[in-house]
Amino acid sequence: MFTINPFAELSATIPGGVIQAYVILMILLVIGGTLFDVLHKGSARYFFDNWSRTQARGGRPLGGGKIAALAVQTAAVDVLTSAEFCNQHRRIAHLLTMYGFVIYLVTTLVLVFGGTGVSGLCIFLWYAGALMACAGGFWFWFFIRVDVLAEGHSPFRLVRADLFIVSLLASVTSGILWGAAQSMGGGALAVGFLILYVGASTVLFGSVPWSKFAHMFFKPAAALQKRVEKANGTRRGLPAPADRPGTLGSSRRLPQNY
Amino acid sequence: MPTFVYMTSCDGCGHCVDICPSDIMHIDTTYRRAFNIEPNMCWECYSCVKACPQNAIDCRGYADFAPLGHSVRVLREEEKGTISWRLRFRDGREKNFVSPIRTTPWGSIPSPAELPRPSDAMLASQELAHEPEALKIEGGLPALTPGRLQPGFREGL
Amino acid sequence: MALFGGRKTVHVDADILVVGGGMAGCGATYESRYWGRDLKIVCVEKANIQRSGAVAQGLYAINCYMGMQWDENRPEDHVRYARNDLMGLVREDLGYDIARHVDSTVHKFEEWGLPIMRDPKTGRYQREGKWQIMIHGESYKPIVAEAARKAASEVYNRIMVTHLLRDRTRENRVAGAVGFNVRTGDFYIFRAKAVIVCAGGASHIFKPRAVGEGMGRTWYAPWSSASAYALPMQLGAKMTQMENRIVLTRFKDGYGPVGAYFLHLKTYTENVYGKEYESTWYEDTKALVGDYIDRHPVPTCLRNHAILKEVAAGRGPIRMVTREAFRDPHKETVGWENFLGMTIGQAVVWASQNIDPKETNPELTTSEPYVMGSHATCSGAWASGPEDYAPDAYQWGYNRMMTVEGLFGAGDTIGGTAHKFSSGSFTEGRIAAKAAVKYVTDLRNDLPDVDENECRALEEAVFRPLETYRVGRNEIVAGTVSPSYILPIHGLQRLEKIMDEYVGGISTTYMTNEWGLKRGLDLLGMLKEDMAHVGAEDLHQLQRAWELNHRLLASLAVTHHTLFRKETRWPGYYYRGDYPKLDDENWHCFTLSRYDARTGEFAMETAPVYHIVD
Repeated sequence: MFTINPFAELSATIPGGVIQAYVILMILLVIGGTLFDVLHKGSARYFFDNWSRTQARGGRPLGGGKIAALAVQTAAVDVLTSAEFCNQHRRIAHLLTMYGFVIYLVTTLVLVFGGTGVSGLCIFLWYAGALMACAGGFWFWFFIRVDVLAEGHSPFRLVRADLFIVSLLASVTSGILWGAAQSMGGGALAVGFLILYVGASTVLFGSVPWSKFAHMFFKPAAALQKRVEKANGTRRGLPAPADRPGTLGSSRRLPQNY
Repeated sequence: MPTFVYMTSCDGCGHCVDICPSDIMHIDTTYRRAFNIEPNMCWECYSCVKACPQNAIDCRGYADFAPLGHSVRVLREEEKGTISWRLRFRDGREKNFVSPIRTTPWGSIPSPAELPRPSDAMLASQELAHEPEALKIEGGLPALTPGRLQPGFREGL
Repeated sequence: MALFGGRKTVHVDADILVVGGGMAGCGATYESRYWGRDLKIVCVEKANIQRSGAVAQGLYAINCYMGMQWDENRPEDHVRYARNDLMGLVREDLGYDIARHVDSTVHKFEEWGLPIMRDPKTGRYQREGKWQIMIHGESYKPIVAEAARKAASEVYNRIMVTHLLRDRTRENRVAGAVGFNVRTGDFYIFRAKAVIVCAGGASHIFKPRAVGEGMGRTWYAPWSSASAYALPMQLGAKMTQMENRIVLTRFKDGYGPVGAYFLHLKTYTENVYGKEYESTWYEDTKALVGDYIDRHPVPTCLRNHAILKEVAAGRGPIRMVTREAFRDPHKETVGWENFLGMTIGQAVVWASQNIDPKETNPELTTSEPYVMGSHATCSGAWASGPEDYAPDAYQWGYNRMMTVEGLFGAGDTIGGTAHKFSSGSFTEGRIAAKAAVKYVTDLRNDLPDVDENECRALEEAVFRPLETYRVGRNEIVAGTVSPSYILPIHGLQRLEKIMDEYVGGISTTYMTNEWGLKRGLDLLGMLKEDMAHVGAEDLHQLQRAWELNHRLLASLAVTHHTLFRKETRWPGYYYRGDYPKLDDENWHCFTLSRYDARTGEFAMETAPVYHIVD
């Protein structure tokens, strides 16, 4: 199944231009949704206000070079390796989901816009990315998600915060199943999964103002600010770490004491 | 000073939900991040603040008597056995304090089941576990003699 | 993890069930394991024992330590101190018992890793006062909880115990407890040979001074919901001294502690004109209580009384003179760390209002009343005394067993033993646990018999508020106002208002009388009826609903006891306007009540006070 380009099969029934238009529409929805989110909530304005408040609070002034270096660190560590997570399982799950989803997105673009000359590797990566996203996403969904882990809710209780993860998982899962159904000869099953796939993807990219999708934009900004506050000594009002060696271990347990 | 959670710092790990003695730190259904669901049942005990691995929880003095602009922030470092505080007054003055919190490694307390099994005679005695040694006194556990009883002004009414 | 959110019923069998994992509960769990090596020891806690109970926030002092190893005090001295402070009425047998054991508890705490300060000159523990030693106790509770976790067969966190179970065939014997998991909603039935109640005393039964967001800034923790009293009461265990509520003189708004300030920092109080005021009220107080005013130290309630009189005379507020002491940087650090270690909220109040005690003498206030059993007050269950010396009237079974067979208690739960504080509560937990192990050993195969019908009825009752809300909610469009149900916060605020206005809260300056108490009982009776219509939107509110039930039951006991004792024994804690004086002739005795859960009636009686120590 990992050799079939599902989009190529699809273009036999739906004109390629329609598929491409749909993908472009999704990209526009994300951009539009994000802009709406940022303007409507004033989150960007809050970020800049807060930034200048922090600067006004004093601390060591940092040069442009230093801030650029911190930005590189933020990108390389906080963003690329999800280093902000304190729970290592969660970090791994997030990395799997994030990289899987990115691979899946990029290969989707190649498969849709690359015409007939798409390499087998690219098709394989589309499936691999989707599977990675599934692995990380379902692990998170059933076992790591705080609603289940610390709150003790059923994993099937759905709330608005689940819109992003559920539509993402639905999109990649139905995408894989759609591809698999095609490899088994297509038919009604493939059409069914296609409908699910398009539906889930539309919700995923179209729900940006209502979902957690926007976190991928403000999280890096917040991570950079945290690094800057640490470097200039203001630390968001936190005290400096104690000047002592750490030899006593920890009493931290999984937050699941009920 | 009920607690609140900084949106961009919280990663929704659940440690505050797990620790809050008042059961008021819960997960928001829109952002899957923690928040204080019942500020008027918050004792400002800082259990959640200290437990947060991201230092995402802070306190703002109770609205009915605390003017804005203050900050009392804490860094509890278990591995170092320390707690550090930084206070900022409304007028900007600052104070810093550091105290020890523990002198032995976490998890190092032995279970009482690891100690030699007490005899039946010991169970019948008035001594508790580790006594009389842990009292660090000569002559064993102090006791009174029943003969010294004195009733109160009236023996009941 | 409940896959589809369905509620399960979980059965747990235990030899010893410890209800509440605070200081007393951790002590009971630890000691149960030491003596009961092969027993199943289960500790159940409504929060997480890592940070639960009154010590969740930490402490900066251990207020009950004899120092026998350095001949600082003898247990007899502590009995005299507590008796004096409580105006003559304490269970001296129980108090002596705690005092003779408490040093070994504190020594174990230090061995376990609790940083206790030392006097650099003598090498002894740093004394704050005669009974208090200073600690860096931010992690006091996590350390003690670690010991309990190591000892327990199982610790069940986040289970709110709502009722104790009665043995099916033996009316006056405990058979276990039931409760629900605040996270999953599962119903738990614990069957146990012995139950040690180590739950918390009562905050939020009188209206607090802060009524908005700040209502959580009570002196005692808001999660101390009177389960210490309600659980044994439901089974018919006798309660004592429930009228002996406590009022605390504390720093304004944050209720920051004053002990270290008075004792260690040597600060003192004055009226708003900078004058000493206690001597002004000496004759007045002497007319009320006789020579109790001449005792040393002056009883806590009488010091409150002087403050109340001075403020009423228009010379308030009373302020703590800190400016001199805080010039010493060491004392300044101690002053702040004292708050950060146990009442962080006071540091926040001062930071927010720019109060630096180096420059400003901060205001004091008297708090709303609290009902508990481990501070300068001694409400709680009537318990059997130590076997080796307790008088016959105080001895009917095992040490710390209540008047119900197999039901033990410690900490806030046990009445008559003031001034035990954190270390004494842990110690009393140990005492109760050893006795419980003896009891369980003596039982042999005489197992408790849990009535399944009772359990089913309780399960239905426990979850009824969820159903009341779910169905009743259809009546209204939105919001919290319904003609058919009340929410837990509504009931709580009604309870606080009734207690405040009729049973001697802040709005009457702690004054009440027979008419007011009877009116209070009428209104509490209606609230009790309305509690059949309390609604809970979710499990968190269900916990609040059951906390309110427990608070209400304790409040009824407080009101009945206050009505019964026809004197003003503790002016400064509360006043009976119709009996304004202390009356040793008629009331040098304990008051006892027994609640009948079937009829809702309270039966009152008195019990003799034995002075064991001269």
